[in-house]
Amino acid sequence: MSSAATNPVPPNLLRGLWLQAEVVHALALRETRTRFGGHKLGYLWALVEPTLIILTLDALFRVAGRATPVGMDIFSFIVTGLVPYHLFSASARQVAESINGNRALLFYPPVQPLDLAIARAVLEGATYFMVFVLLMGAHALVLQRFEVDDLLTVLWGFGLASFLGASAGLVFCCLGQISNAVDRARGPLLRPLFWISGVFFTAESLPAHIRKPALYNPVFHTVELVRAGWFSTYGPEHASSTYVLAWIGVLAVVGLVLERLVRRRIELT
Amino acid sequence: MIELEHVTKTYRTTKGPHVVLDDVSLRFHAGEGIGVLGRNGAGKSTLLRIIGGAEAPTSGRVRRTSRVSWPIGFAGAFHGSLSGEANCRFVARIYAQDIDRVVDETRAFAEIGEYFFMPVRTYSSGMRARLAFGLSMAIDFDVYLIDEITAVGDKPFRKKCGEALEERRARAGLVLVSHDLAMIRRHCTRCLVVSRGALSDYDDVDEALKVYDQSLSA
Repeated sequence: MSSAATNPVPPNLLRGLWLQAEVVHALALRETRTRFGGHKLGYLWALVEPTLIILTLDALFRVAGRATPVGMDIFSFIVTGLVPYHLFSASARQVAESINGNRALLFYPPVQPLDLAIARAVLEGATYFMVFVLLMGAHALVLQRFEVDDLLTVLWGFGLASFLGASAGLVFCCLGQISNAVDRARGPLLRPLFWISGVFFTAESLPAHIRKPALYNPVFHTVELVRAGWFSTYGPEHASSTYVLAWIGVLAVVGLVLERLVRRRIELT
Repeated sequence: MIELEHVTKTYRTTKGPHVVLDDVSLRFHAGEGIGVLGRNGAGKSTLLRIIGGAEAPTSGRVRRTSRVSWPIGFAGAFHGSLSGEANCRFVARIYAQDIDRVVDETRAFAEIGEYFFMPVRTYSSGMRARLAFGLSMAIDFDVYLIDEITAVGDKPFRKKCGEALEERRARAGLVLVSHDLAMIRRHCTRCLVVSRGALSDYDDVDEALKVYDQSLSA
């Protein structure tokens, strides 16, 4: 990418894209190995955290005797809320820390800051998709029953959650290069989303005067989409893909512009 | 051809901006052997990172029409928990090289035995240098940027590096940061002295060494 900016002869665009894809692929592989202990089974550890949270919440719901909306069993209700939320928040966090966590790799000129961000977003997307497939697969095995209303809508919801997290992460990542305060503020800013993104409730179940402000939160829309796709008894009438896409568009443009601006400020040591 | 135009590099510190390179310009073609001299902290490694493109200058332009290596030093950008082999595979991938060939050639050059398959954090600095140098030689660059790699190596390794560089010099250029003056004399025909943010450019290596020597004792 830097060669495109500094090279007087514009390189073949397709070849450039292919080379960048190779770099992202290499980074994602490397990250998989370093993060999960260099052992192939280590990837399973990625499953442990969300599984524990889900089982805990499942137990809490049962003990508290809280009812889930009609047609949703507690386990599926929690998984369809928690996985897209986690996909968003983990993508945002991982991408936000992509430069600070991999600074040494920028030593290799083919590796550009954006590649680090993309590799992490891809890896988070793959991880949480796997988490979802395995949890729902296990659930189906236990129940001996498997029903999905509309798989495409489920995938679309995940895709939006992933891009939303990655583009928010990119903005945080670049701002973090300018000011450390942004890095410190990121956690406190994002954490409340856990409580207001529909992990524990649906838009339908909210009173209208609360539903309206709650739907300003784009993460809530991605959860709604996933649930609308998964449950035949629940519809997507409160979710707006366009609204989420608008957020993604604005965050991505701001993030990419910031990346150009902070590129010269990134220090290797 | 590599060209630096009015390059300034400033690092932010708690005590305000620190200028490492102040409006330097440099132009060389890919086949040249260039030695870089300067005291510790003069900005030699920064210069290499900017030539290679690992860091962007604060202001000014860098143009490259040749394939330039990363700055090859003993510290390197190896991941400590990955094996030497896994690190080689990663670098081969990002440079779109034949992975198995790069791994085999690096292993043969580095001569670190079974350590090649052990985490890099278990390596001594000499072993890291062997891995880094072998890996860079397994990839075809037009210009190799070498940052004091021989300083930590033993005598056989230094000899091997010298021979590999000699062989490579026939078709590739070299920017060599070193305090080993004999090595600079052997591989370079041009010399840069980095001092107080400025570059002095000498076509005569012996003259550069003389000037540098005097500046050290002054």
